[in-house]
Amino acid sequence: MADQQPTTADTEDERNTAAKSAEDRKAASALANLDSSSSSAAAAATPAPAVDHEAVTKAMKNLGGLGSGSGTRRNVKVDPADVALLVDQLDMTRPRATEFLKSHDGDAVTAMRAYITA
Amino acid sequence: MPQPLNSKEQALFRLVVRSYEDKQYKKGVKTADQILKKFPKHGDTMAMKALILNAQGRTEEAFALGKEALTADMKSHVCWHVYGLLYRAAKNFEEASKAYKFALKLEPESAQIQRDLAVLQVQMRDYPGYIQSRRAMLQARPQIRQNWTALSIAYHLDGNLTEAEKVLSAYEGTLKQTPSRLDLEHSESVMYKNSLIAEQGEYQKALDHLEDAAKYNLDRLAVMEARAEYLQKLGRNEEAAKAYRALLDRNPDHQAYYEKLTQALGISDDDVKARKAIYDEYAAKFPRCDAARRLPLDFLSGDEFEEAAESYLTLMLNKGVPSTFANLKHLYSDDFKKEVLPELAENYLESQGADASSKDKGEAAALYFLAQHYNYRLSRDLDQADEYVNKAIEKDPKSVDYNMTKARILKHRGDIKKAAEAMDYARTLDLRDRYINSKAAKYHLRNNDNEKALKTVGLFTRADTVGGPLVDLLDMQCVWFLTEDGEAYARRGNTGLALKRLQAVANIFDVWQEDQFDFHTFSLRKGQIRAYVDMIRWEDHIRDHPFYSRAALAAINIYLDLAAKPAENGVNGEDTDEALAKKKAAKKAKKEQQRLEREAAEKQAKQDPNKASSSQTDEVKKKDDDPLGLKLAATEDPLGDAVKLLAPLLQVCPKSLEAQHAGFEVYLLRGKYILALRCLRAAIEIDPSSPKVHEQTIAFRHALNHATDLPAKVLEVLKEEFKAIEPSEDLKKVNDAFQAKHKSSPPHQLAALRAQHILGEDKARTNKEVLALLELPEIEFAHALEALELLQKWRSSEIETFRKAAIAKWPQVTRLE
Repeated sequence: MADQQPTTADTEDERNTAAKSAEDRKAASALANLDSSSSSAAAAATPAPAVDHEAVTKAMKNLGGLGSGSGTRRNVKVDPADVALLVDQLDMTRPRATEFLKSHDGDAVTAMRAYITA
Repeated sequence: MPQPLNSKEQALFRLVVRSYEDKQYKKGVKTADQILKKFPKHGDTMAMKALILNAQGRTEEAFALGKEALTADMKSHVCWHVYGLLYRAAKNFEEASKAYKFALKLEPESAQIQRDLAVLQVQMRDYPGYIQSRRAMLQARPQIRQNWTALSIAYHLDGNLTEAEKVLSAYEGTLKQTPSRLDLEHSESVMYKNSLIAEQGEYQKALDHLEDAAKYNLDRLAVMEARAEYLQKLGRNEEAAKAYRALLDRNPDHQAYYEKLTQALGISDDDVKARKAIYDEYAAKFPRCDAARRLPLDFLSGDEFEEAAESYLTLMLNKGVPSTFANLKHLYSDDFKKEVLPELAENYLESQGADASSKDKGEAAALYFLAQHYNYRLSRDLDQADEYVNKAIEKDPKSVDYNMTKARILKHRGDIKKAAEAMDYARTLDLRDRYINSKAAKYHLRNNDNEKALKTVGLFTRADTVGGPLVDLLDMQCVWFLTEDGEAYARRGNTGLALKRLQAVANIFDVWQEDQFDFHTFSLRKGQIRAYVDMIRWEDHIRDHPFYSRAALAAINIYLDLAAKPAENGVNGEDTDEALAKKKAAKKAKKEQQRLEREAAEKQAKQDPNKASSSQTDEVKKKDDDPLGLKLAATEDPLGDAVKLLAPLLQVCPKSLEAQHAGFEVYLLRGKYILALRCLRAAIEIDPSSPKVHEQTIAFRHALNHATDLPAKVLEVLKEEFKAIEPSEDLKKVNDAFQAKHKSSPPHQLAALRAQHILGEDKARTNKEVLALLELPEIEFAHALEALELLQKWRSSEIETFRKAAIAKWPQVTRLE
């Protein structure tokens, strides 16, 4: 686990640079075809009988757009010291502690009290 | 930069991929090296090589190379995909999913990456993400039914039933003709849709759908059950009753059908006669049906019960059904029934009708029943039990059942050693019976004889497993054996092996969770989606199985001891005996390990050279580098290890008193007061009168009074939430009051004594009171064992005095020795 920590930091940087140029992506996709041949062959082999292509596509459209069900989150400011306190006292991960604090209006005492009786 | 390869290398690269898929790892590495010789910075090849290295168990190298591949070619989706696969293999799902997502960004068309991501998302229960992935997969291939079903499942798991149903209907709308009746996938899908409708509470719609679309469904039973349920829910009782009768005709041994039928007929619970009549009807209709005869015993009472019980018992004893007692013992929670049943059995014994000559019917069966009756927890009288079982054995000295019961009686007397011998004797009476073999092994373990136990179960494991029976038991995930083996080692003071076994059990639960991975795709391919959804729901609370809590609690207790030990050693500074014994044990363990290694090496040398090479190339089994658990026992952070087992336990079984008590101890020792208080409050909620609650309340107040430099906010929380004992109170007085209040209860006394120890009460007083425990009229040997353990933990000077006194009181109890 310990040696995995630094790598994640690196990948963040790489990601930002990587997404920029579209040309490089094309080159990569050329390589991609190397190993995707087997999987597409397998897919072609599965028969899809009695399926009306037009109807299927139409049905797809009727399904509607992506359900954007993410609720509106209130913007609550949290003190990093409180997050650190919760991480230490409640054995939580940092994101969870932040989330938990936010759901209690950023008040560490109410949050911890709520956790005891939860 | 990605480098295009020329055709020769391209072919080689394809070969690398194929070698990986065919698990020919050595060949794959060789080929990859060939490419890398020419193009040393070819990212995709490096990535593939990393993947193969990982499959060979060289995880660290694999990660290093995988990262190198990324630096060489960070725009290659292959490299990112591989990086994700490496993380996935290391079970770091968060990072894996990030890497997959990035690979997908580079190559949005790749079905393989999309599938890997989707599977990971459902495994992580990231349902919104899963819906998104499934949607993309459906968009890519809308003509495949699987993809529609999968999206529907994704919505269902996310709790969006309407959308789930809509997706299925949308696909059905595209079908020009109804698929053939024998189309299993369609049949399953229809039933799945039906269950979705019902889950939304729309029973009329579900019923209509059922009678229309599922009329000829392949799963007849599910259709019939659903139909009966819907009718009942809709209040159409007459039809519901008819439907349940149809089900009973199919399977008259299904308890729930009887209950539903009674309900549908409008019979109230008080109308015992009418209820009984239904069962009688089926008992007459199906002469071999057991449920119709036995189930009325649950609700009958008084003379009616006696009458029904007599005829049932007579029938069973005449037939000599060995499970008779096991089938009836649940009735013992009713005091009246507990009295009546043995009377009936004795009457039966005295009546002239019973078959006196048979070995397993009539009289013999009644004797066996009575022996079990007097051996049972709620009606225990071990002398009587002995008498009956001996009479039964007289009738058939070679009966496995009777001899097994004899061993169990001995166990309840506390004579574990003789019990193990008796059980082993029972085993010799039928060497081909796996049940009695397991039982004998378990009794050896209870007698702390791990070696003999392993030899005994070894008679039934696969003979040719490399590494002996234990490896086979691990492969077969034989949880009961591992748990008992671990507990036995714990009693013997072999912390390493105890932790090794108990952790193995925890690992098996991890494996069970991991096993889901295969089913995310398999179940869809096979179309068995209702079972799949059930499985997903089951996996969500898999660790609430008693097997897990038992092993986890045992391991946590060991870790607690480990955590407490260095502190106590530091205080006392002496304990030369123990240190010496420990050194000896460590030396012995080391020797044992060396011996094992030598043996393994010899075995490998002896193996057929041809065979060895084939097994080595393909599947190099990971060698266990800690077979005796020495590393586990030498842990630097026993409490941290304990928390790993504890966290899932508290999450899935918050209602377990033992789990909360253990959680308190662990968190208090770690100085996590808020978490400790959470456990304590939960324990109070479950059972405020538990002796441990008192002990832990005292311990908590004591710890708080002595705690320094707690953050102000924590102090505030604790002050508000912990009011059971005020800080000003004299804890010793509180404890004394508790002790006086529960004068005659051994468990409460033990709790008070432990609290005394925590508070630093005068040792002489505590010792004296432990000895006085033996005079309590209600004390049983289990309490004495607990007290003895306490004295040993405290390194009391009174251990031997107590032991002698206890042995004088219970001479047969082997564990006191």
